Amino acid sequence: MNHWPTLVYGLFAMGALGVYCLLPRAERSMRAAGAVLGAAALAGFLVLFARYAVSPQGSGVVFLVSGAIAIAAAVKVITHERPVYSALYFVLVVLAITPLLILQSAEFAAAALVIIYAGAILVTYVFVIMLAQQSGAAHYDRQSREPFIAVLAGFLTTAVVAAGIMELPVPAGGDPTAMGGEGPSNTEVIGRVLMADYSAALEIAGVLLLIAMIGAVVISRKRVPTEDVVESRTPGMIGREVPPY
Amino acid sequence: MNEALGYIVLGALLFALGVVGFLSRRNLIVIFLSTEIMFQGVIVNLVALSRLHGNVQGQAFALFLLVIAAVEAGLALGLVVLLFRRKGTLDVERWSSMWG
Repeated sequence: MNHWPTLVYGLFAMGALGVYCLLPRAERSMRAAGAVLGAAALAGFLVLFARYAVSPQGSGVVFLVSGAIAIAAAVKVITHERPVYSALYFVLVVLAITPLLILQSAEFAAAALVIIYAGAILVTYVFVIMLAQQSGAAHYDRQSREPFIAVLAGFLTTAVVAAGIMELPVPAGGDPTAMGGEGPSNTEVIGRVLMADYSAALEIAGVLLLIAMIGAVVISRKRVPTEDVVESRTPGMIGREVPPY
Repeated sequence: MNEALGYIVLGALLFALGVVGFLSRRNLIVIFLSTEIMFQGVIVNLVALSRLHGNVQGQAFALFLLVIAAVEAGLALGLVVLLFRRKGTLDVERWSSMWG
């Protein structure tokens, strides 16, 4: 198994290159190459995991399929030119994450994730997109800024995490199977932990939500002077000029 | 090789994709969607580590993370609407005057 750090880093680099080609830019010819590279990297990871990390049957299959869907949908979120589609693909990310949480016996967190993220937060996003987005893809959605540096940052983040966890000793303290089976349900256990161990944090979270609500009301009632309304091109300091489409 | 390893790598990949989107996109709304993807990666990590250690504290932290995400989305989108009313665009490069 000594080859597998190199293999993992190679797959990371391949996926990063694929995302780099997929990011929106003026010329569209690199899209297909990026899609092929990204799909190949994803397939490589699936084979690697099916071979070494998870058992390729039962819950392992659910992990592989859901994980692949989540990654592919996340790539679509950050590369799609229309924000509405980005928001819809984000719903797909949330729905693909949910079975993974259920597999890890976190049923309450899975339900809360669907209700709060896919139900509440995404509705807010779609509302704002409807309020603020012009029809069609704007020129700034067709052009990413500094895609190389961004992809490099993402690659380094992943590589550092991977380097850390390949050294990781498996903690022997807990018994992972103790949470399933009979006994109090997951929701009951979480409720007890929240009220017993984290009651102060729970109160602070409630106050935080109240403050955020008041803040959002204040922000949205504020009257602002309208400055120059842009026309189609706006050169920034690191932006490149794009012809209006 | 442990089952949790796959979940941690998946969380790291989601987080990295969020970082890439946050740094490279120019639309304010897509930038905040990228932060939500980072939150998803962290939630996967927390739940997997909670399972690995055999307690539910990670899941409790995931719930607090949901609170933070809701607060962030509410305030950030309010600010986005405010900025849009001011300049009529969602392009972050229009606000580069904030660099000083």
